[in-house]
Parts: sequence; C-alpha cells; structure tokens
Amino acid sequence: MSDLLVVEDLTVTFPTTRGPVEVVKGVSFTVGRDETVGIVGESGSGKSMTSLAIMGLLPKGARTRGSVRLDGTELLGRPERELRRLRGDQLSMIFQDPLSSLNPYYTVGLQIEEMYRAHRDKSRRNARQVAVEALAQVGLPEPERRVDHYPHQFSGGQRQRVMIAMALVCGPKLLIADEPTTALDVTVQAQILRLLADLRRESGTGMVFITHDLAVISSIATRVLVLRRGEQVEYGTAEQVFAEPRHDYTRMLLDSIPRIDDEVSA
Amino acid sequence: MTPLLQAENLTKRFVTRGPLGARAEFTAVDQVSFEVRLGETLAVVGESGSGKSTTARMIAKLMDPTEGSLHFDGEDVTRAKGAALARFRGDVQVVFQDPFSSLNPRHTVERILMAPLVYQGIAPDGSRRAHAKELMERVGLNPDHSLRYPAQFSGGQAQRIGIARALAVNPRLVICDEAVSALDVSVQAQVIELLRRLQRESGFSYVFIAHDLAVVRQIAQRVAVMSKGRIVELGETAQVFGEPRDAYTRTLLAAIPRIDPEWDRRRKERS
Repeated sequence: MSDLLVVEDLTVTFPTTRGPVEVVKGVSFTVGRDETVGIVGESGSGKSMTSLAIMGLLPKGARTRGSVRLDGTELLGRPERELRRLRGDQLSMIFQDPLSSLNPYYTVGLQIEEMYRAHRDKSRRNARQVAVEALAQVGLPEPERRVDHYPHQFSGGQRQRVMIAMALVCGPKLLIADEPTTALDVTVQAQILRLLADLRRESGTGMVFITHDLAVISSIATRVLVLRRGEQVEYGTAEQVFAEPRHDYTRMLLDSIPRIDDEVSA
Repeated sequence: MTPLLQAENLTKRFVTRGPLGARAEFTAVDQVSFEVRLGETLAVVGESGSGKSTTARMIAKLMDPTEGSLHFDGEDVTRAKGAALARFRGDVQVVFQDPFSSLNPRHTVERILMAPLVYQGIAPDGSRRAHAKELMERVGLNPDHSLRYPAQFSGGQAQRIGIARALAVNPRLVICDEAVSALDVSVQAQVIELLRRLQRESGFSYVFIAHDLAVVRQIAQRVAVMSKGRIVELGETAQVFGEPRDAYTRTLLAAIPRIDPEWDRRRKERS
C-alpha cells in the first residue's frame, strides 16, 4: 500500500529586508498509514515550519517549493478554500497550548460539534452525541456534563484531551501534533502520550509528532527525522537514529540530554 | 555546624475571592522545613502548583511567608528590613528562568553586571569595566562584548549574563529558579556544566528549583520533592532517585520518558 503522506524536497522561504531566507531546506520524508513519524530539533530547526507547511498554515508571505502529497493528492499550492475543506477532515493538528487554540466564549461541546458539522453531518442533534462520544473517547470523565463546560473549566491536560477529541472527531487520515505535551507536567505528559498512541492505533490515523524532546520521540515514534537550521541531518527508524546515529549533530544531541537513570559523580 | 539557610514551617496562604465575592484561602506552601548546607546543591522539584516557585520566592525574600521562619547564617531574617535586608541581598542572589525578561534591554551588559554592586554601595576592585569583563570571562562570555545589549546575545549567552550578575556581589547562596528550563538541550548541558564549575571555584550553595528531574540528578546532592504545597520526600539524590520512599516520588519518576537503555548502550559502543 502506498504511503499516506509523502513530503519531497520541501523548502520554505520567507522574504526579509535582506532578501529571502530559507527556513526549511529540502526536507523529505514519508508517513505510512498506521505510523508515527517524529520530527525533532532545537529552536530554529524548522520543525514547526515544516508542520505548518503541510497544513497550509504558513504565515503570509512564506513561499514553498517541493511537494506534499496526502494520499496521492498534492497539498502545496492548493487554494485556501480547498485547504480549509481538508483541514479538520483529512488532516488535523494539535498544538502546544490548547488554551490559545480553543475559543473561550464557546463550550467545548459546541466547538467539537462545529468541527463535525462543517465536514460531516449538518444536523445539530446528531453532532451533540458525537461530541459527547469524542470526549469519552479521549478519557474525560462525565462527558455528558463536561460537554457543556467552557475551556477555562478544564485543567491543562484535560484541555489537551479536548483538543485531541476535536482533532479526531472527523476521523482524519493524518494528525500533526506540534509539541503537544511540552507545556504539561510530566505525569500528565505520560497520560497524553499513552492516549495518543492508543487512539492512533485504534483509528489507524498516521501521525507526525514534533518535539524538542528526544526521550519523548523515542517513546512514541517508529521513524525519526532530525532537523537543524532547516536542514535534514538524519532520517531513519527510531532504533537506527538512537542506537546508530550517522550524523555528529545527532550524536551531540543524544550526548547532551541528561538521563534520569544515570548515576552522576558529584 | 550551622546550616547556611534554614527554613522552618514556611507557609504561604493567598486570599482569593470566589465568584460571589466569598473569601477563600488557598495554601500554596504548607509548613515546609529544610536546610541548605554550606557548599551544597539542594534541588526542589515538583510539578506545576506544587509550591516550589513560591518556596523559592520566600527563601529569596522576594515574598514574605504567612507563617514560619527563615534563618540565614544563624540570623533570623524572616522580617529583615533595611540594612539587614540589604546584607541578605548581598549574600543571596537569584537566577531566573527567562534571561531576557530579567535583564534590562536598554542597559549594556556592563551596567547590568554592576547594578548589584551599585545597590550594595560596594566599589569594585579596580574599575567597573575591568570588573564586568572579569565576570564575563568567568561565565565564558567574550569580555570585549561588555558594551553590548541583551538582545545582541543568544538565549544561552543571556542566561550566562544572568549568572554573572548573580556572582557580582560574591554571594554565598544562589537560587536558580528553573534557570536552565528554557534552553535548548545542547545549550542546557553547557550551562549546567558552567554552574557546576562556578560552584567548585567559589564554594557557594545552590538551591536549584526545577521540574526536570534528569537535570536535577546532574547537579544536586540532595533533593526535596514537593507536591500540593508540601515536601513529600527529602533526601540524598541517589536515595530519592534510586529508592524513592514516597508514592508520589515514585509516580513522578515512572512518568519520565526514557530512551531505551539498550539503544544508548549500542550508541556508546560504536563511538
């Protein structure tokens, strides 16, 4: 079976007063159906720009080259109207800060319903039931009651669950998760990582997981892409990248992170 | 031996108003006691809302405790004001998480580094410029850049400026409040190494506030684990990480994502 997402020689350029600057320089990778690919890098590596390019959400003025195909369909250069129809339906994204992506004036139920009605069934009654089920699916207790609550009534981890429920309500083929656990406490992070892995497995959604945290990547991704200043320095299976890194930069990164189980001489 | 700093039953309660204006009290830190020994690094770890930052602010005397007492070098500084507080500030310095928001963007590095001395009314040995350059060298910054502004430095370099400023008055205790949390891993490793070297050279103590336990393990001799405003476990680093006694500590340690040790072993064999 063909790959779900094929990114080929993706380049993102921003115009500046000193001329165009390339922030993503020829990145290529694929995501199979039923697979999680991790993109890891430090600040300025271009990892978020890569995900925004796939979603067609780059800031105004950005120029792209190369190819991004979802299930054989080219996404780059598509008109905004068509991309809007695809987003939330065929591909979804969750971000680091769920509070800034949720509308504080609407109940979470309404926001999930809106997503579902925009792409699927227009009827209101059905949508509410779908929203309740979506909240139950992400492990929120008392979904029938919580569906009428506003974003501020949820904790950080619960809000991320709401975002995941919204992202998955239409059953997208691809989920892009950009630092979804970075702002969370470590115990909550563990729960969200488990939830994402479980949901992905159950629904067969492909996932691109973006993070600066190598340990998080190693626990969730089957394949890993390492970016540095917009360039792809390493791409392989997680085992290959972590056990047999080919590039000095990857080795340096792996040497830099403190290991929780290491004894340290004072 | 008298501990350098002794916190006894430190408590901080905040008064909040409910939706109907009802008064409610929230206890952020609840009867916390610990000591900081000469030359050691004590880490205070916990998740958000654990009270670790409020504890840090109280022992830095940036916030008064509701109850409890604080002794520094045997002296009661709980309600210290005026000259006594100024003396305390000369002994205890803080390095904050975000270097850019804690450095005045309109001041040169030299002026930033000399500000604590000006506040203390101390004249540096030699000229100010020479003293600022010397501090920059100690933290691994190019001393020729002493007339630059914070925005002209990277995040890791800016944090070095924050560390140099803390060292300007020759403190005996440096409180690091999530001082390496915002840095990229490669930069973080360098700043941790810098903090360890400075302590070896100068012999001051650290209180290291952090949520990242792997970082804490690199730097602390003792660890206090906080949850819901209380210290649930306090002990030697090796004991807390190796044989945690408290259930919450065990949960916390188990939740940390780990790289497969087998992968690490194979990588090290190859290099």
